[in-house]
Amino acid sequence: MIKLNNVSLVFQGGSVALSNITTTINDSEFIYLVGHSGSGKSSLLKVLYKEFEATKGEIEVAGLDVIELPKWKLPLLRRKLGIVTQEPQLLENRTAFENIAFALEVMGADNQEIDAKTNTLLELVDIVENAYKYPNQLSGGEQTRVSIARALANNPMILLCDEPTGNLDPDLSIQIVSLLEKINRAGTTVIMATHDSSIVNRRKKRVLELSNGKLIRDELEGSYITN
Amino acid sequence: MNKLTYVAKNAMLNMRRSPLIVFATIIAVLVSSFLVFTTLSARSIVENNTIRWQNGVHVVVFLDDRVTTTAHKQLQESLESYPEVRTVDYFTKAEAAEEFKALFNDQPELLSEVDFAILPSSLRVNLNNPSDYQLILERMDGNPAVKEIRTSGEAIERLLNLTNTLVVSATSFAFLIGFAAFILIVNTLRLAAYSKKKEIKIMRLVGASATYIRLPFIFEAVFESLIGTSIAVGLGWALIEYSKGSIVSDSIFDITISDNYLIYLTLLLLLSSLIFGLIASFVGIRKVIND
Repeated sequence: MIKLNNVSLVFQGGSVALSNITTTINDSEFIYLVGHSGSGKSSLLKVLYKEFEATKGEIEVAGLDVIELPKWKLPLLRRKLGIVTQEPQLLENRTAFENIAFALEVMGADNQEIDAKTNTLLELVDIVENAYKYPNQLSGGEQTRVSIARALANNPMILLCDEPTGNLDPDLSIQIVSLLEKINRAGTTVIMATHDSSIVNRRKKRVLELSNGKLIRDELEGSYITN
Repeated sequence: MNKLTYVAKNAMLNMRRSPLIVFATIIAVLVSSFLVFTTLSARSIVENNTIRWQNGVHVVVFLDDRVTTTAHKQLQESLESYPEVRTVDYFTKAEAAEEFKALFNDQPELLSEVDFAILPSSLRVNLNNPSDYQLILERMDGNPAVKEIRTSGEAIERLLNLTNTLVVSATSFAFLIGFAAFILIVNTLRLAAYSKKKEIKIMRLVGASATYIRLPFIFEAVFESLIGTSIAVGLGWALIEYSKGSIVSDSIFDITISDNYLIYLTLLLLLSSLIFGLIASFVGIRKVIND
């Protein structure tokens, strides 16, 4: 569960990124976070995984008080989350398999576990055939799939996706969204930031809309209505 | 175990990418540690020698033979009463002659020409603190029983001053080179960390702890530092062993230094290089890790 209570984020210099956001996201929900560029979508995701420190308010993520969480305990929070950024952030000198395995490797998993889990994830995101290709040999959609698989490597309770379809054509975007829904059906809470109205309107999921850092809409079965 | 493998593998990978910088770093650490090791060892050797000398005679008061032996006895008693004096031995003219013969027994011509009657009796004074020889000179000034005074304290003092100057200069120089080594390590790690910025970012995102992210860099810095220091210490030990059999050992100095002191010095340097590596790695990657 994620709870936000009057959360604000003001950058140095006074620019307001988030203003008094209050909402609750239940376990296993699928949320579309929509809004124009600069509306605060990425900032909201970043305060959830404490890349940005909220200026005020209360944030609870998977039972952890994010605001009070000391820096040295940050890994505890990150291990409960899977994070997918707009740029897939893959390591160029590693294959798709190795990029996914990397997340397990740095968490200290043994080789047997790394192999088994990475293969399962490759199947889940449907890139088994491209497992031993390097990022520059993969399409944008495939790179995003690898990035999602890596985010899922440590069995996160919540998957935070920051415009994962931002650089993809509509067909590939639909495939990625279908993949995220599949992951959501398995019990993982998914929050996906997007400004792609076609996806949101088709899928009929809960929508949180931000504008100038304010939460202006929160509705189930919502559509993308900002103009 | 897997984590340890990861750390060692990544540290070695970093070092393989910039072998020249790694080599320069090790050399700088080596020179710095070698200077510290050799100067501290040299100081210990000089101290051992001066302690030996200091246990000997510090002031020789040659007595005027025209004065009565009672006056000599009184002078000995007053010397013994001074707090800075440890012992006073009376050396008769006959004993002085015996000593002279022993010292120059390889020069029979000289011995045949010397009139031993001119050798004065003397009081040989051992001080609690050899640097107090000036006090004795002052106290004996104008005493009619005294013919001449000679001291060894001044020579010892000069030698100790020279040694201390040498130690301070060499240690300062060692610190300067050590600082250069520190900058080299910091820069090497910073470059390595920047080249792995993306990797570090991903590690942070998936929940790797800061310590775990730092470990390969810490390993690298400590490894370079320990290798340099180990070679320096090895060379230092070899130099001391070599010096023991050298001409220096036969002439001025007795190259004696206890194994315990050398072991202490070795451990101290290794521990210092460990701390040095830890601090260098902390400074080197702090910015990249916190970005």
